Amino acid sequence: MNRKLLGISLILLVLLVGCSRKELKVPLEDVGMVGIMAFDYIDEKQMKITVAIPQYSPEAQQKTQIFSVATDLVSSGIVEIEKLSDKKIVFNQLRVVLINEEFARKGQVRKVIQHLYRNAEVGNKVLIAIAKDNAETILKGDYPDKPNIIFYINDLLEPSINTAFNPNTNLHDFIYTISNPVTDTILPYIEKLDDKLEIKGVAVFKGNHMEELIKPEEALIIQALQGRKNLAPLHLDLHEGHGEEKLMIDLIESTIKMRSNKSIESPKLIINLKIKGTLSEYKGAREYELNTVESISHLEKDINKQLEEDITKFLDKLKNMDVDPSGLSEKFRMYYDGKWTTKKTREVIGKLKTEVHVETSIISTGTLK
Amino acid sequence: MSTANLKMLNRYHVIFLAQSIMIGTGILSLPQKLSAMGYTEWFMPVLFGVVATLTLWPMVWLCSKYPNENLFRINEILLGKVIGKVINLFFVLQFIVFSAGIISNYMHLIQSTALQEQTITLPVICLLLLLVYIISGGIKSIARFCMMTFFITIGMFYFTRWAIEKGEFSHLIPLFNFDWQEFFDAFKKGYLSILGYELIMFYFPYIIDQKKAYRHSLIGIWISIFLCFFTTVVSVIYYSEWQLKNVEFSVLNLFKAGEFSFVERIDIIGITLWVFLILSSITAYVWCAKLGVDSLLKKKRNYQLFLLAAIIFLIVRMPFSREFQEKLFTTSNYIGYMLIIWPIFLSVIYVVRKKKVQQ
Repeated sequence: MNRKLLGISLILLVLLVGCSRKELKVPLEDVGMVGIMAFDYIDEKQMKITVAIPQYSPEAQQKTQIFSVATDLVSSGIVEIEKLSDKKIVFNQLRVVLINEEFARKGQVRKVIQHLYRNAEVGNKVLIAIAKDNAETILKGDYPDKPNIIFYINDLLEPSINTAFNPNTNLHDFIYTISNPVTDTILPYIEKLDDKLEIKGVAVFKGNHMEELIKPEEALIIQALQGRKNLAPLHLDLHEGHGEEKLMIDLIESTIKMRSNKSIESPKLIINLKIKGTLSEYKGAREYELNTVESISHLEKDINKQLEEDITKFLDKLKNMDVDPSGLSEKFRMYYDGKWTTKKTREVIGKLKTEVHVETSIISTGTLK
Repeated sequence: MSTANLKMLNRYHVIFLAQSIMIGTGILSLPQKLSAMGYTEWFMPVLFGVVATLTLWPMVWLCSKYPNENLFRINEILLGKVIGKVINLFFVLQFIVFSAGIISNYMHLIQSTALQEQTITLPVICLLLLLVYIISGGIKSIARFCMMTFFITIGMFYFTRWAIEKGEFSHLIPLFNFDWQEFFDAFKKGYLSILGYELIMFYFPYIIDQKKAYRHSLIGIWISIFLCFFTTVVSVIYYSEWQLKNVEFSVLNLFKAGEFSFVERIDIIGITLWVFLILSSITAYVWCAKLGVDSLLKKKRNYQLFLLAAIIFLIVRMPFSREFQEKLFTTSNYIGYMLIIWPIFLSVIYVVRKKKVQQ
């Protein structure tokens, strides 16, 4: 009897498939996968959303579809874009979010990014960057020697060791730093120059808004202080009694140790930075002396001094701006009982005294004597 | 009902039964549940482990007095037939709602991440069919399934690698930075995640080496506790306090931190593999519910397992509002705590009525 039942159910299983409803899934050709999203500031209530979607159809003239709408909510903007588009808009392939400077300074950046963070379609690896002037024109710009704006911006911001300078920040980093009272957010800042884009520096946030733009060399110090192991090549101008000297060190490794005095009333931080690298280029008075161990170690000492000066100067600058992008106040939170707030971070940074020690070791100067 | 000839769980079965039942959906949101304590939450799982160790003891002690009876029978012996049966009915309902809660929780997660354009009816049916299939093999097949689950899913811990690389270990100190209200809040919400070991009171009669059952169960419990501890620590070093509070399924976002060159969204893989963990814990609960139904009915029947599955399906897909569902599941969660206290209560009764109820 069981066999009969099994047979009948097998037959039914096969035959009844014909009765099933047709699946309502959107085929892949009809899905528009957003690669870049850009936000521009209009006024306090409104913003402009621009999306770039790759165009796969060979008949199309342009390789990317670009839509922009003005809206007050992100999701209603997306509904508007769906009305304009011939495809269904999805965010699974979102790679980059661009925010224009004005929006970063005045708009509700945190809300917008938080909206994306909430969305399960969006991965956490989406890169965020600030655009000078207008983010829409960056997307609509013409880059004749680049394959596609989506790949171009993504590769430009993509973290890689070879890129000379890269303060990349992804969705998780952004939310982590902006919601963490001990750190202030940093974002790469890009500018459009004719038919190319350039990372001009780093935008430093204070609270939920952009505060200041700092130079790449200074941003390198932030990264070193954050404890990043691999840094971009370091360019230095030495003024240590040998006239003006210029040199470039390819940094191989950097380690940082910080010790705080655990006091919030009179905070003091001792910073020990050790860097190892190869001297890749040198221009200055000592050019022909640098072939002995002694002269190299002399140069190392000069570099130490110069770096200590630079770092102290930069920390003073941050102190005046009252921001803490490298999370120095974490060293004080670690020893504090109770709730730590942003206000405490500002207090600590305002009163912070630092003592910087740098230890450079030049491993090699290349294979030529 | 004599089960003397049914001893079939060896020590590995006991270890992994205790281990796998504990890990369900709870661990997914454990860091969020504990977040009232901020960064200091990371040592809580160890504390839970200690509490579990202490509360496991009365369970095993009580069961060792009745080596051939499960808790449903013990209830009837100690409390009398009528009260015992009422309590048993209550337990059965609790198990049904509890497992429905786990399924519903997981299915909503699946719906919001992996299958966004589908209803969850079909996945729920598939899950329940599997459930019926595993349970109809008896407790031994559940135990075997638990072992398999452990070895299939343990590899997922590799996926937290990227989060550890990025994390700030300084979040771990200061250590005791909380007040008591935060502590109780975290304890109340978090302890739920490690429930499951109390089911030993139901499969105890099937264990071969009952004298060592306590030790074997403890090994299982501490494996789970270690996994919970590990997850919590990784979450604490990777997230800010705001994120700990607001990211509901922290483990999922930990998986989002990394990628392979050939797979971009590891969280989707992780969350679909999680179905093993869900199955291993609900099968045990539903098996216990079936045991309860058996003890309530006079005649043995074959269809009650399907009936249980149908009831669970109805609860998961019931046309009530989400709010009511949430309330129901939260209530059943708190009743789950009662099962931890229950053996202590029964032990007291046992001591008081010792002479009357001795076999």
